Amino acid sequence: MRRWKYTANASFYGLRRDRFTQYQPAASVREKLERVIATPGITGVELKYPYDFEDPRLIRQILDDSGISVSAVNVDIKDSEHFRFGALAASDKTARDKAFELLTAGMDLAAEFGSDLVSTCPLADGYDYPFQLDFTEAWGFFIETVSRVCRYRGDVRLALEFQPHEPHAHILLNNVGKMLHVCAEVGLPNLGANLDVGHSFAALESPAESAALLAAKDRFFYLHASDNTGDGGDWDMLSGSVHFWHWIELLLTMDRVGYEGWIGADLMAKFGTAQNFYSTNVKLINGMITLIENVGVGELHRLISESGSTTQVYDLMADRLERLSQFPAD
Amino acid sequence: MNKLAIITGFLGGVKNRYITYEPDRDLVEKFKLAAQINALEGFELCYPADFSDIGLLKKLLSDYGYGVSAVNVRTRRTGKWWRGSFTSSHQQERMEVVDEIKEAMDATREVGAARITTCPLNDGHDYVFEMNYIDAYRYAQETFSAICEYDPGIKLCIEYKWNDPRTRCFFASAGETAAFCNAVGADNLGATLDIGHSIQTGERPAQAAALLAQAGRLFYVHLNDNDRNFDWDLIPGAYHFWEFIEFFFYLKELGYTDDWYAYDVMSKEIDTVETFNTVFDITRKLEKLSDGIDRSAAKSLMQERNPAKIMRFLYETVI
Repeated sequence: MRRWKYTANASFYGLRRDRFTQYQPAASVREKLERVIATPGITGVELKYPYDFEDPRLIRQILDDSGISVSAVNVDIKDSEHFRFGALAASDKTARDKAFELLTAGMDLAAEFGSDLVSTCPLADGYDYPFQLDFTEAWGFFIETVSRVCRYRGDVRLALEFQPHEPHAHILLNNVGKMLHVCAEVGLPNLGANLDVGHSFAALESPAESAALLAAKDRFFYLHASDNTGDGGDWDMLSGSVHFWHWIELLLTMDRVGYEGWIGADLMAKFGTAQNFYSTNVKLINGMITLIENVGVGELHRLISESGSTTQVYDLMADRLERLSQFPAD
Repeated sequence: MNKLAIITGFLGGVKNRYITYEPDRDLVEKFKLAAQINALEGFELCYPADFSDIGLLKKLLSDYGYGVSAVNVRTRRTGKWWRGSFTSSHQQERMEVVDEIKEAMDATREVGAARITTCPLNDGHDYVFEMNYIDAYRYAQETFSAICEYDPGIKLCIEYKWNDPRTRCFFASAGETAAFCNAVGADNLGATLDIGHSIQTGERPAQAAALLAQAGRLFYVHLNDNDRNFDWDLIPGAYHFWEFIEFFFYLKELGYTDDWYAYDVMSKEIDTVETFNTVFDITRKLEKLSDGIDRSAAKSLMQERNPAKIMRFLYETVI
C-alpha cells in the first residue's frame, strides 16, 4: 500500500471563527509556521496568498532546515473588497483581472518555494437566489479566467477546490462533475482538482468515486482530508470520525489510481490546538491504511471487482477487526 | 396584524466564517440605519451587547418610537460557555447562565418587553461520544426551570435549530423543544419558531406551528428562508413560497395575529436597507396572498385530502 506525505494548512493554526464565535486568536506567520513544524507527522505546509506572504524571506528563513516544504500556495479569491460579486466569473472585468493577478502571483511564489501547485477555492463565485446570476455569462467568464491563469505558466499546476455551498447557498463549482467539465473546457494539462473530502461529502458524493473520476482524466492533483456529518455542513472534522468506511474506500482507491500528491487537511480546532488535531488526523489516516494492509489490498481489490461481493468485502474486514480486537493490549 | 422587528445583530457586523460584509456598528449607528427602513416597528434587542448603557438604549427607543419584540440573550459567545451553558457539565457555567438570564429578565422589563428568546447554539456536540446526553437533559431541565421560576411574567423562548456552529444542536426541532418544555412544566417556557430553522431541520413550518401551539409553546416567530441545506437567512419566500402561504394561513388559525415577526435576514453583499425594505414588502404581500384564501373552502378541501383539487384551488385563487 502506497504511503503519502502529510501537509498542514497554516490558516487553521491561526484565527478561526464562524459566523457566531471566534475560537482561536490571530497568530503571526512565524507562530503558525512554528506550530506546523512542531506537529508530529507533518512534513509540508500549505500557505495562503496574499496574507501569509507579506515577507517571503521570513518564510524561507523559518522553513530552512525545518524539514518542512511548501506543498501548495493557496490563493484567496473571496474577500468582500474585490470579490463582492464574484471573482473568476464576475461580470466586472476588474474583479476577474484581480483574481488573475492574485492567482498568477501565487504561481510565481509557488515556483519560488519549490512547489508546482496553486490551490484555490472559488467561493465568491456563487449565488443565493434564483435569477441572481446570468449562468451563461458567468460560466463563460469562469472558464475564460481559469484558462488565462493556466496559460500564464505551464510549469505550475492549478488545483480548483470544489465546494457545494458557503458562503453562498450555491457555489458554481460545486461538485466533481462540474470540476471535470471545467477541465475539459479549458483543455490544459496543468488544471486539476483539489479533492476536499469534506466538500465531497457535503456535495453528496462518495469521495472514492470522485477520486477515481479525477484520476482517470489526470486531474487528481491534491487532497484535503476532513470529514463531516454529511448533511451539508462543511465542519472540517477529523478524518473517519463520521464516514469511517467511506474513508477506507477512499484510501484504497487512492492507492489503486496511483495518487502521488500530498495529503493536506482542513481541520477546525474549535477547542484544543491545531497541532493536536493535525497530528491526530495523521494517526487516524495511518491507522486506516494499516487496517487496509492487514486486510489485504489485493484481496480487497479482487472482491470489489466481482459483482455482488459487497458482503464478502465487509466479512473480510470484520474478520480482521475481530482478530485485531482479540490481541492483548501491549 | 403582527408587527415587524429586526434583530439588531443583523444591522451591523454581518459576517460568516469567510467574509465580513458589513462593518460593526454601535447602537446609535444601528438606530440611524434602521430609521431608513420603511415599515420597521421595533427591534429584537441583543443581550448583553445592546444593554451596555440602558439609559441610552431607552432614549433611542423612545426618540425613534420603536418597540421591543423580545430580548435575545446570546448564550454563545467568544471566550465563554464553549461547551454550552444550559447543558454544561460544569455547575459553575450553568449557574452563570441562570444568573445572566435573570438579569436579562429584569432588563427586559425595563425596556417594556415581556419575552426573552435564546438560541442555545453552543449546547450541542460535534462528535459521537462527545456529550453525555442523559446528564445534558437533566442539566437543561434544572437551568431552564430555575430561570422560569425567577419571573413567571416573562416568557422564555428556546429557538431550536439543527446545527451551526455545532454539527448538532441540543434542541433541533419543534418536537424536541415541545417535549422538553413539557418535561420542565413551566408555563412561561416555550419556543421561538424560526421558520428557516424549521425548514432546515426538515419540518413543514405550518405543522411545527400547529404542534407547538397545541402544546401551548408557540411563543414567538422569526422569519427568513433557506434551501434546506443550511441556515442561510435569506429573503422570506425566495425558496419556500407555498410554505409561507401555508404558514401564515396557520398562524391566523392558531391566533398568532397580534404579535411580532422578528427577522434574521443576512443582507450579505446587498445593501442592508434595500434588503429589509424588500423583506417587509414581501412579508405583507405573502400575508395578503394567504389572507385571500377562502378558509372554509380550503378547510373543506383539506377534509377531502385530495392534493389534485387543493393545488388547483391554490393556483386558481392565490396567484
